[in-house]
Amino acid sequence: MKPKRAGQFWALDILGAALFSWGISGGVEALVARTALDGWLACLAGGALVRAASVVLVHHYAMPGAQIAANPWRRAAMSRLLGGRLPAPVSAGTSAALAIDHVQAIEEHGARFQPARVSAVVGPLLAISLIALASWFSALILLATLLPFVVGMIFAGTAARRASERQLDALAALSGLFVDRVRHLPLIRHFGAQARIARQVEDATHGVAMRTVAVLRAAFLSSAVLEFFAAIAVALVAIYCGFALLGLLPFTPPEPLTLGRAFFALAMAPEVYLPMRRLAAAYHEKQMGEAAESALADYAPGQEEAEEVSSAAPSPFDGLVVEGLILTWPPVCIGPVDLRLPRTGIVALSGPSGSGKTSTLAAIAGQIEATSGRITTFAGHPLDPADVAWAAQRPLLLPGTLRRNLALAAPEVCDAAVLVAARRVGLGPLLEARGGLDFVIDHKGSGLSGGERRRIGLARALLSGRPLLLCDEPTADLDAASAAQIVAVLQELGREKALLVATHDEAVRAIAQQEIAL
Amino acid sequence: MSRAAFSHPFELAKPTPPVRHVLRLGTLSAIVAALSGLLLLGISGWFLTGAAIAGASGLLAVQTFNYLIPSAAIRLLAILRTVSRYGERMLSHKAALTAMADLRSRLFRLLAAQDTRYAPDVSAGEASARLIGDIESLEDLIVRQPTRPGSLAAALAGVALAALSGWLSALLLAGLLVIFPFAVTALSRRLTAAPAHDAAEALGELRARYVDMAQARAEIAAYGLVDTVLDELAEPITRLDAARWTLFRAEAGVAAFQLFYGALAAIAVLATASGGPALAALGLLAATAAIEALAAISRTALRQARVEEGLRRLESLLDLAEQPLPAAPSERFLAAPLRLGTHAIAPGSHIALLGASGSGKTLALEALAGLRASTAPIWVDDAPLAECAEDTLRGQFALSAQDAPLLAGSIADNLRLARPGITEDAMRAALATACLDERIARLPAGLDTLLGEDGAPLSGGERKRLSLARALLAGRPWLLLDEPTEGLDGATERELVRRLGGWLESTDTGLVLVSHRPHPLSLAQHSLPIEALPRT
Repeated sequence: MKPKRAGQFWALDILGAALFSWGISGGVEALVARTALDGWLACLAGGALVRAASVVLVHHYAMPGAQIAANPWRRAAMSRLLGGRLPAPVSAGTSAALAIDHVQAIEEHGARFQPARVSAVVGPLLAISLIALASWFSALILLATLLPFVVGMIFAGTAARRASERQLDALAALSGLFVDRVRHLPLIRHFGAQARIARQVEDATHGVAMRTVAVLRAAFLSSAVLEFFAAIAVALVAIYCGFALLGLLPFTPPEPLTLGRAFFALAMAPEVYLPMRRLAAAYHEKQMGEAAESALADYAPGQEEAEEVSSAAPSPFDGLVVEGLILTWPPVCIGPVDLRLPRTGIVALSGPSGSGKTSTLAAIAGQIEATSGRITTFAGHPLDPADVAWAAQRPLLLPGTLRRNLALAAPEVCDAAVLVAARRVGLGPLLEARGGLDFVIDHKGSGLSGGERRRIGLARALLSGRPLLLCDEPTADLDAASAAQIVAVLQELGREKALLVATHDEAVRAIAQQEIAL
Repeated sequence: MSRAAFSHPFELAKPTPPVRHVLRLGTLSAIVAALSGLLLLGISGWFLTGAAIAGASGLLAVQTFNYLIPSAAIRLLAILRTVSRYGERMLSHKAALTAMADLRSRLFRLLAAQDTRYAPDVSAGEASARLIGDIESLEDLIVRQPTRPGSLAAALAGVALAALSGWLSALLLAGLLVIFPFAVTALSRRLTAAPAHDAAEALGELRARYVDMAQARAEIAAYGLVDTVLDELAEPITRLDAARWTLFRAEAGVAAFQLFYGALAAIAVLATASGGPALAALGLLAATAAIEALAAISRTALRQARVEEGLRRLESLLDLAEQPLPAAPSERFLAAPLRLGTHAIAPGSHIALLGASGSGKTLALEALAGLRASTAPIWVDDAPLAECAEDTLRGQFALSAQDAPLLAGSIADNLRLARPGITEDAMRAALATACLDERIARLPAGLDTLLGEDGAPLSGGERKRLSLARALLAGRPWLLLDEPTEGLDGATERELVRRLGGWLESTDTGLVLVSHRPHPLSLAQHSLPIEALPRT
């Protein structure tokens, strides 16, 4: 059920409140008339029961509805972030924030705000209609206070929104400052700058607090408008009814009013405003949900990029040509990169960390959009991404057997071929020690060394049978012996495949026929 | 000499005197708000009933019925309630936000005063982000502080008004109100503890697995493995969805309980009323309002799990000793002689550490810089490194590290970190030595250019040189350089080495250098193989 439909159960809440109010007014009348109370007490219990049922129903149906609505967002964001072509690299932390936290904000928005919004539209009018059955003049008073209330809410709400939008960026920047300074404490301590930075942090955190107070003031002001009208409505109904019952109204009473009817109108009056208070309480979820939707706009469901269908028949890989490749996502700029890599051989891509080696490889593999430049085969055809294998610095491990993990890129390949590839990259000792291809790996890869992981990635790339192999830092963080073995494997592979290796290891650079410095 | 900064997690959230003052005002507002809300309903009910009875009894009764006071009271209470509710919210949030800012500053000072060599590591992104989240969860604790006295005042007033209608009503209502906090806390604990735990667990697992996959993005995209990996994530997602649904329904359960409880109170008061219809109406409406005022307690109970989780994680910081922050070394320290293994190194010498990758050159520099504990045979001023005070190391060494960490902020902010009172001219001179002056001058905002998270818009090599300029500005007797020219083209590298050589001469500064490249090594008068420093 859609969360909006679930919100319709809030109408039941108004009916329950009416039953409860009827019980109260009847009970008071019974006390005046000295008649039996039992039926009215049952009304009170029944009213509470109906209200409780409505709360339970709304919550029961709203969340699954919101989850069903949010799941396509999660799936689309995850698909794109994990496997699509991106305009700029996304860090793992940001990626998780987008695919997990922002989707959760959309879900909260669906589960809390949307039902409340339905009830805010239907609820007050339903409550006023019920009051009109007892006292149409009280209903008129409530309707009259509702109009300025709505206008007031719009003004206060707009002011609050403007204030919060103005501050949101500033707040994010200032909270970011705290995280940044905590993260760089070793650096700050090294230069003896603790006291100075602590003062800066103090000023910044108090600045955040004061700005947040300013934002809240606007938000609370709109709640105060709401409270004020709710209180005034109750007061007006009470005074009108009281004076009508006393017969002291300065005008002829417009309707015959009894104590029961008057009491019902009084008890129901706060219910007119309750749905809107519920909506105000979900305002935070609304803001977060809308912020999340705009953050995820590029990854929205239904926006999956259309597969680029190349009209030309795939041409066989005869070497890689990169011309004037430039990657920019302000303020970063990488390139221009030019290189030629024949069908066999090794080209090293070197440069300090952060210089864009991995991003360049990703652009060649078609995973990041290049700002300009050409990536083609020697014959001049666009490079087919299906010709590109990737040996990662920290390869993907999925729970399952070693066989499954080695053959991820070529699931149909036979065991014999898997064993050959595994031995070739030096996984022989692992196979012997752990019982062959049926060795079970958990998703953390417990019990595998960094070198073994790296070799699994290499074997996977070999098994994919693709002619161009991109290697990302194949020897980083390995002990000397493992690194030397990997270098030997790469040198051998270079005789039969095209290898583009991002590295800052001299041993790897030494076996390359060409070095491109970034 | 030093004492633990906090002896109990709740002390973390303990407000300072100015905050306590704001909280007291907030509490006062909360009490006024709760009472005026309760009286508004109660008096309205009493007024109506009284008016009806008087109206039915004839003109004389109407004339003796005092309608002026109740009708004025109703209007006054309506305004009072609005203003005091606004005050309560404003003041309690102001107090909470100020208290959290105080706490952040205090925690920062606490962490900053630690010795890097032995301090808990909060440098990882997740650890520092969690620190923020954990502090935020404490905010709730303070925001809700004024609501408790407010609820209590409403409960007492509710009982007092019910007493007008009959002592039995008051007694029953008092009993119900006393039981409520315990009942609702027990209920919400029972309903939320398990799903809150499951949700946290499933979310943690989903995040961990997803981050692993995001880091392996290149392979997933290259081999078209998206559907395979999404299947792997389906299980924690299903668990998370189920737990969140259960949690959401638990909220409804607590709300339903409260509705029943309100009805129970109304029934109890109505069934036992003995003071006449008007006072019964007063007691009845006061009773329902009193139960409603207790809703704050059930909201607190529902959030208790999150608050406790945050407090538990912050407990790890409780053992840290509170110390005054050391002042920055103001005057230039007297250069100390070093001894690396058996090699004595006189102040002002220039030496290079040699060795294969992974042999521990960077570790040795970081140990000298006071960034990591080390048992390597290194002596500073004839004291073993492990026994050197942090201040001594700080006063002797300025490091330009391999990964060139930069603060988020402007270029000038990063340079100013080195030492208090650095002038712009000094910055420009240091940037000139680091061959970065022209690049910075070309930036539209110059020294005020803001650097992003990864030091953007500076390239890897430029970040290195900025970090070098910062180390030069520190003016310490020893400069520690780790691969200072990595990522530079040949011409720039030669120029940098030339200028750096001149600077070292003119300032009589010592140098400990680590580099793979031949050019910078020409700066060193001696080289020392790292193998001479056996790692223990």
